[in-house]
Amino acid sequence: MQLQRKNMMLTLGVAILGFAAIFFLSSYIENHRVSLPASYEDDDLSFQGKRLKGFALGAEGLLADWYWMQSLQYIGNKVVRDNSDVIDLGDLRSLNPRLLFPLLDNATDLDPKFMAAYSYGATVLPAVDGAQAIKLTEKGIANNPGQWRLYQNLGYIYWQSKDYEKAAEVYETGSHVEGAPIFFRQMIALMKTQGGDRNTARQVYSQTLREAPDQSTKFNAQLRLKELDALDEMDAIEAVLDKARSATGACPQRLSEVIPHLRSVNLPSGKDFSVNAAGDLVDPTGVPYLLDRQNCKAELDPDKTKLPKH
Amino acid sequence: MSSNKSERHILAVVFTIAKNTFREAIRDKVLYNLVVFVLLITACAILLGELTDGQEARTIVNIGLNSMLLFGVFISIFTGVGLVSKEIEKRTVFAIFSKPVRRAEFLVGKYLGLCLTLLVNVAVMGAGISLALIYVKGGSLVYSIWGGIFLIYLELAILTAIAILFSSFSSAALSALFTFLVFIIGHMSASLRDLASGIGSKTATVFFDILYYLLPNLAHFSFRTESANGMVPNSAMMGGGALYALVYIIIVLTISVRIFGRKNFK
Repeated sequence: MQLQRKNMMLTLGVAILGFAAIFFLSSYIENHRVSLPASYEDDDLSFQGKRLKGFALGAEGLLADWYWMQSLQYIGNKVVRDNSDVIDLGDLRSLNPRLLFPLLDNATDLDPKFMAAYSYGATVLPAVDGAQAIKLTEKGIANNPGQWRLYQNLGYIYWQSKDYEKAAEVYETGSHVEGAPIFFRQMIALMKTQGGDRNTARQVYSQTLREAPDQSTKFNAQLRLKELDALDEMDAIEAVLDKARSATGACPQRLSEVIPHLRSVNLPSGKDFSVNAAGDLVDPTGVPYLLDRQNCKAELDPDKTKLPKH
Repeated sequence: MSSNKSERHILAVVFTIAKNTFREAIRDKVLYNLVVFVLLITACAILLGELTDGQEARTIVNIGLNSMLLFGVFISIFTGVGLVSKEIEKRTVFAIFSKPVRRAEFLVGKYLGLCLTLLVNVAVMGAGISLALIYVKGGSLVYSIWGGIFLIYLELAILTAIAILFSSFSSAALSALFTFLVFIIGHMSASLRDLASGIGSKTATVFFDILYYLLPNLAHFSFRTESANGMVPNSAMMGGGALYALVYIIIVLTISVRIFGRKNFK
């Protein structure tokens, strides 16, 4: 009986001492681990999603989730470890998140229908590498051609990179996808406006105005049409101002001075210039244009105009 | 009339053995794995929100269905290989065969008993995943997971039959190993076949073609990733899968019965 108790105590002692030693040894090894230089901090991905596919015993979705969580943690850790006071979320290149694309690429190789991964890539990757953001979103569209949100993401990426032509093209394709919201048509027009193709924009907005099922969309289309009118008017005013400056050698003092010359101008909308009761030349929302004498051009009154400000 | 009576007798014997196998599994605490599973799913439901940035529902489905398969595979293999060998080791097989019980009835009864255990297991796990989904407001996925669960059950039924086949002529350890290998290769056979045809080697192509048709193509029953995306298997996939499983199980059990019938217990 006593021997049994002795053995028991011995076992207990060995276990307690052993685990205590393991605790300290683990800490010791952890503290003395050779740390990799900062440039080697990121481990390259051991596996490629497309190669794993078919060999993951049907658990591709689970692996995709793992890569997805890794990508979230990856960016999160980079932001946490960064020492700078302010992080520019529009440009994350200083964090060197070079594995974000491979992680998301792997996740979407394993589960091509993983919409959250595509959306996350479309939101964060433009701040890292625009080309990668486009590549991932285009892959999403190829795998899920019926998902209009991916077209929206891709259009937005092109828009942000000021490639209005491409953005309009994407919104145009996306607008034909079943369930695509009516604002896609508006986005095409908006891209054309910003890209300079006002005639197409006018057609699309006019169509939206005719077909929109709700009042807010109609109102928005109307506002955009007025914006196009204002852009045309300002171009025409600038041309007349240029002529006046060439003739007199100085920019006119007031815009009202050129009103008589504008009567002969044919605007693309077929409308005439508007003048208010005070005799001021006004934009399509009734707010007088301002004259920028330095550049000799008319501009919208940013504080008063009801036209959208980009 | 006599044939009808004989059929009723066979069914009664098979049913009794199946019922006892199920009871034995309960006694062996096989269903304790459900406790681990429930803990896992509960932890997922509580913790995944932060980790997945709002994608916890699909992750719960992925973790849940893959765990269901993994737990099921271990039950199929380790219980399946012990179904017959345990009876032989404990010599209870002599008591059974001293009664009017044929070897085929015994084997099929054992198989069906384990299938019933797996059915209970899979159904409870499915209910657990559904509750977790409702908890994380992913109720829209509840409907879609049951198609995937049905296919998982068919896969487990095939594996159980294979475990019984191996255990009818091999030791328990080897049978478990072989069955696990069949599970692995069964999932990869289609990919390996494609890989071999991509390499262009004729020998490899023939070898993997044989593997593809000889071993069960378990990729037919993989619908876990799709379920996590809210997709539901169509009737052709469910019906075709069920038929495939039935035919394969009949082949494997027939061979098992043949081998088991010739086995000398002395």
